Amino acid sequence: MKNMITIFLKEMKEVLRDRRTLILMIVMPLLLFPVIINVTTTFMMKLEKGAEEKILKVSVLLNGNKPGFEQKIRERKDMSIEEEVVENKIKNLITLKKLDFAVVFDKNFDNQVETMEPADVRLYYRSSAEMDISKRRIDKLLKKHGEELLNERFARLDIDKKVINTLNIEMNDIATVKEKFGERAGGLLPYMFVIFCFIGAMYPAIDLGAGEKERGTIETLLVSPASRFQIVMGKFWVVTAAGIISALLSVTGLFVSIKMNTQIPGEILQVILKIIDIKSISVIFSLLFPLSIFFAGLLLSFSLYAHSFKEAQSIITPLNFAIIIPAFIGTLPGIKLDTVTAMIPVLNVSLASKEIISGTIKAGLLIEVYASLIALAGLSLYFCVKWFNRESVIFRAE
Amino acid sequence: MIEVNNIYKKFKLSRKQQREKENGKTKIKFIQSVDDVSFKCTPGRIFTLLGPNGAGKTTILRMIATMLAPDSGSIKVAGFDTGKQPGKVRENIGFLTGTTGLYARLTPNEMIKYYADLYSLSKKDFEKNKDSIFNTLDINEFANRKIGKLSSGMKQKVSIARTLIHNPDVVIFDEPTTGLDVLTSRNIIKLIRDCRNQGKTVIFSTHIMGEVNMLSDDLAILHNGKIVYSGNFESFKSEMRSKTIEDEFVRVVGGAS
Repeated sequence: MKNMITIFLKEMKEVLRDRRTLILMIVMPLLLFPVIINVTTTFMMKLEKGAEEKILKVSVLLNGNKPGFEQKIRERKDMSIEEEVVENKIKNLITLKKLDFAVVFDKNFDNQVETMEPADVRLYYRSSAEMDISKRRIDKLLKKHGEELLNERFARLDIDKKVINTLNIEMNDIATVKEKFGERAGGLLPYMFVIFCFIGAMYPAIDLGAGEKERGTIETLLVSPASRFQIVMGKFWVVTAAGIISALLSVTGLFVSIKMNTQIPGEILQVILKIIDIKSISVIFSLLFPLSIFFAGLLLSFSLYAHSFKEAQSIITPLNFAIIIPAFIGTLPGIKLDTVTAMIPVLNVSLASKEIISGTIKAGLLIEVYASLIALAGLSLYFCVKWFNRESVIFRAE
Repeated sequence: MIEVNNIYKKFKLSRKQQREKENGKTKIKFIQSVDDVSFKCTPGRIFTLLGPNGAGKTTILRMIATMLAPDSGSIKVAGFDTGKQPGKVRENIGFLTGTTGLYARLTPNEMIKYYADLYSLSKKDFEKNKDSIFNTLDINEFANRKIGKLSSGMKQKVSIARTLIHNPDVVIFDEPTTGLDVLTSRNIIKLIRDCRNQGKTVIFSTHIMGEVNMLSDDLAILHNGKIVYSGNFESFKSEMRSKTIEDEFVRVVGGAS
C-alpha cells in the first residue's frame, strides 16, 4: 500500500507538471463552458438587440389597392418606407441591402377582399439569423392587418367570431420545467462530462504507460521493491483521478459561467440552477466514478502495449470515436434508458444522466446502470493488472 | 552473491522478426535467447558478460533483476530466489544501463527521494546515503534543477545516485557506457571499480573489449544464448591463443558458431 501511494503521489506530481496534460485536464474543461456560454450569449444578445433596434427599410407596392397597410408602416418609428420601387427590381435591391422587406399587394387584392376570397400578398426578404428576428415585426403587422380584414368580414356577414372556434381545448401539460429541460438539454451535459472524463484521462495514461517505456524509466521502476501490482495501481489511480478531476472541473466551469453570466435573465437563471442541483450532479458523478475506472483501465492497457508516446496516440485516438458515438446517441431525442441501453457503457451514463436531470430516473434501471459500470470497471482493472504482468507486453518486440 | 543455475529463456518473435528470420519453408516463431546458462558472481569481484548484440546478455541481467522470469532453471541473488522472493531480490540490487531514463519533470532531489521511499529507507539512512553520493558525484549544485534541463553527464550522475541510494549488495550494469561520452564513461568505469572495492557483487555486460580488460575479474563469453567460455579473466588472458583479447573473442565465438 505504501509503495502504491508513493507511486501515485510521484506520478500525480509529474502529471501536474506536464503542460500538455494540464491544458487538457484542467484548463480546457474549466474554461470551455464559460467561453462557450459567454461568447454565445453575448453574440446572441447583440444579434437580437441589433435586429430589434434596426430601422427596417420597407417598400409597400399597393398596385392600385387601398393604402391601409402602408399607413401602418408609416406610423412606425422602427420602419421607413422606401418609395418608387418596382417589383422586378426588388430582389436586386434586397441583395444589395438597399431594402430589407418588400410587401407587394396583388392588383386584385381589394377585389379578393371584397369577394371574401383569400387575398394575395407577396413578401420579399433575404433570410439570415438577424433578418429572421427582424421579420417578426413585419409578420406581426401582416397578422394584425389580416385580423382586421377578418373582423370586417364577420361584421359584414353578421356572424359572431366565436363560431369559428369548434373546440375549446384546455391544454394541461403536466411535464415540469425540470422534465422538459432534462429531455431537451439533459443529454448534452453528460455528453460533455463523459468526453472530458475521457480526454482528461487520455494524456496521463499515455504518459504513464508508453511514455515511461519510451523514456526508459520503466526498467528502473520494475527493479525497485514495488510489485507490479503496486506499480500499475499507482498509475491506474492517477489516470482515474485525472478523468474525474477533468469532469469535475467542467461542471465547475458550467456552474461558474451560468452564475456569473449577467445576460441570462434572472428567472431563467433561477430555473437552471434549480434544475442542475447538487443532488442531481452528485448522482451523475457517482456514475462517472466507475466510468472513469473503466476508461483508466482501457487507456492504460493500450498505453502499456505501445512502444512509444506516438504509437499510443495512434492507438488511442480512434477510441475517441468509440466514446463520442454512444455519448452522442444519448443526446438524441427518443432514445430512452431501458434494460438494454442500461447495459451499454457510455450510452447508459448519458441516458441515465438525462433522466436524473429530468427527475424521471427509475431506481431499477439506475441500479442496472451501476451494476453494468461497476462490472466493466472491475474487468478493465483486472485486465490492466494482468496486462502489466505480461513480459510480452512490457518488453514487447518491435 | 549471484548464482545462476541452468537457466533457459525463449521469446516469441514479432511478425516482423519472423519475416526477417524466415528460412525457406521453415517458419521460425520463437528464438532461444538464453540456453542452459550457469555461472556464479562473488562479492568483491567484477563479473563480465561479454558477447555480441543479441547474444542474450540483457535477457540474463533482466532475469537476475526479476524483470523477466526464466522458463526453467533458478537464480539466487543475495541468497534470495528470484522466482520465490522477487521483492527481497529487488531490495538488494542496483540496476544501471546506458539507456536508463530519468523523470524529466522531477529534480534530482525528488527523484532520489522517490526511489528511497520505494526502498523504504529511513530518513536517517536516506540523508546519510544521499549526502555521501551527492558529494562524491558533485550533484548538489544541480540537485534542485529539473532533470530535463540537465546535461547528459549530469543525468548520468543522477542515474548512478538512483542506482546506489539504497546501498545495494549487488549491482548490475547493462552496457552502462553505451551512448555516453568519454568523460562520463570514465565516471562509470570508476563507479564499477568503487563498487567492487566496497565488497559489492558486480555484474556488467559489454561488447567493448577495452572495458573487459580494464574491469574484469571473472568473465563469461556469450554467443547465441550459450556460454562459450567461463572462468577467471587472468586465466583467460594466459590461455589466449590470439594476440589480442578482441581476436581471442572472435576466435572463441567463431569456433562456437
